[in-house]
Amino acid sequence: MADHISQTQSFADQVRAIPGGEHLEMCYSCGTCVSKCMIQQKVEPEYNPRRLLHMVIMDMERQAFESPTTWLCSACDLCYPACPQEIHISGVIGAVKDLAVRAGYESPLDTVSVEESRCSGCGICVMTCPYEAPHLIEKQLDGELDRLSEVDANLCMGCGICVAACPMGAISRPGVSNEELREQLRVPASDGAPRMVVFVCDWSLRADADVTLLESYAQNVHIIHIPCTGRIDPEMALLSLRAGIDGVLVCGCAPGECHYKRGTVVSSCKIGLLDRMLGQMQMGNGRGLASHPVRFVQIGTQDRGRIRREVDTMLEHLVHSKEAQ
Amino acid sequence: MAEAKPKLALYWAASCGGCEITVTELGMRLVSLAQLVDIVFWPCLMDFKYSDVEAMEDGEIDVCFFNGAIRTSENEEMAHLLRDKSRILVAFGSCATEGCIPGLANLFDAESILARVYDTAPSVDDSRGTRPITSFTVPEGIIEIPTFYEQVFTLAQTVEVDYFAPGCPPVVDQVWNIFQTFLSGELPERGAIIGVDPKTNCDVCPREKGESGYRVREWRRPHTVALDPDRCFLTQEVICCGPATRAGCGLPCISGNMPCRGCYGPPEGVIDQGAKLLSAIGALVDTDEPETLSQIMDTIVDPAGLSYRFGLANSLLSEIKYGARVREDEV
Repeated sequence: MADHISQTQSFADQVRAIPGGEHLEMCYSCGTCVSKCMIQQKVEPEYNPRRLLHMVIMDMERQAFESPTTWLCSACDLCYPACPQEIHISGVIGAVKDLAVRAGYESPLDTVSVEESRCSGCGICVMTCPYEAPHLIEKQLDGELDRLSEVDANLCMGCGICVAACPMGAISRPGVSNEELREQLRVPASDGAPRMVVFVCDWSLRADADVTLLESYAQNVHIIHIPCTGRIDPEMALLSLRAGIDGVLVCGCAPGECHYKRGTVVSSCKIGLLDRMLGQMQMGNGRGLASHPVRFVQIGTQDRGRIRREVDTMLEHLVHSKEAQ
Repeated sequence: MAEAKPKLALYWAASCGGCEITVTELGMRLVSLAQLVDIVFWPCLMDFKYSDVEAMEDGEIDVCFFNGAIRTSENEEMAHLLRDKSRILVAFGSCATEGCIPGLANLFDAESILARVYDTAPSVDDSRGTRPITSFTVPEGIIEIPTFYEQVFTLAQTVEVDYFAPGCPPVVDQVWNIFQTFLSGELPERGAIIGVDPKTNCDVCPREKGESGYRVREWRRPHTVALDPDRCFLTQEVICCGPATRAGCGLPCISGNMPCRGCYGPPEGVIDQGAKLLSAIGALVDTDEPETLSQIMDTIVDPAGLSYRFGLANSLLSEIKYGARVREDEV
């Protein structure tokens, strides 16, 4: 029956029939969405929601399914408020992706995987994922029926929010697994200068100059690139401090502008609670840690150049507390 | 002549006595245990003196179950003594394993604790600035009492430990399993955590889990909610430490419709239980407004006490605050 429908319906009709796809017709190809899109600016020059929408209208099914635009859209919806036609563009792209998956296409992204022997089936990943990629299944494991998390790779955007949230550390994503990030927490000592780690969400830096700037810092400021600040968990920050690092700065997007919808909110909550705990711990009485040694800053789309100020302010703060000792 | 029975010792350092009670809860099994072993030291229940232990040969005790954290110089002295005299030393219960409730004192320094106890507690009247002194001369000689340390240590931060049996207290069936393991002679790998299951409490918890997109706008304390006994606590906006806690207890709290407090410690592979719990809880919030976020965070009244109720002395937080303690035998 479904096949019959798809044969009689045009590709555009199929997209329109999926909730979210119904706005397709309203696009008049102004391209405002493209100008707002971070993927187009930072990752994929070929990325073009306007063109994808047009492909659909023109019934270019195969081209639409193979277009990176179909797979890379994270539904951050920065384009949505800018669209003069009020098209929910990520909804239309989502409908195209839905059809692509049904047609057997697979996501080209780096996605997460669950280590089944460690998963306890707590469902935290299910609850926190912005894309409803994980779900709980029942599976025979070592002769027993076990409740486990399973991730739909076609829905996963690889943000790493679940990797940080998993209390068992049972989820990993290539490039930002717990082990890989821990490996990076080594910052060489440098003549008494404070050592600092900056976890920076690549999406939060809008200007190329800001990205280049980060490379110019001396060795004592170690930059770790992450897909989203939602990937950072308090354990990572504490491991940094234990490794002798004086301060940890986590830079993410402003609320409402997070590339993965809720990574920045999740992260600011975690870092906020960690800050409160460090305060409760009265760290100042011990090793002489600076006040608020772990900080979260949110860099908005209009905040060009702010990353330098934030890093410098933190560095200055760490220098002062070292001198005060 | 019958083969000599294994020699068993039980000792308590900075602890509440719950670990001792859990052993007595063995009931009739305790009687059969007493027939299988020689109890050579158990100051809580039987009349032994420290000098009895001092008089023993090194390694004379086959297994020593040591509960309690290391809070004073006396605790430390006994830890060293029992280590020397025991072939196998077991950190028994959460205090010895990871500091437990006494370990929460690591939130403060020693002086502020003494000031609270001797000056500012509501029950203290007209403080004269009294403080305990460790040495006092009387006509008959010098009286000495143990020193109160600046921080609380775990047993393994003090002496080498062979096995760890977490729990506040370890549940009685696990205690029986542990005793039987030692009696069988088939010992687990040295350094193992015993009387536990590999995954977390969620693995065995029968409650209905949260669904996709479940979000929290407020955390509620258990006593303020009429809790549904069939649904995951997290989906009732009540923080449960189960996701970050090693299984093995058999869920007495959760069966009693109270959230897990986390006394069995972190699961295998997790370095810091409190940080992991915080990471899981933080992942469930949802708001784009900084003010609302702050309000949600405010509903967690005591984040450190909640996340590290049992594990503070063994946490990254304590290590960062005080530095790692290097034991004499590790130098």
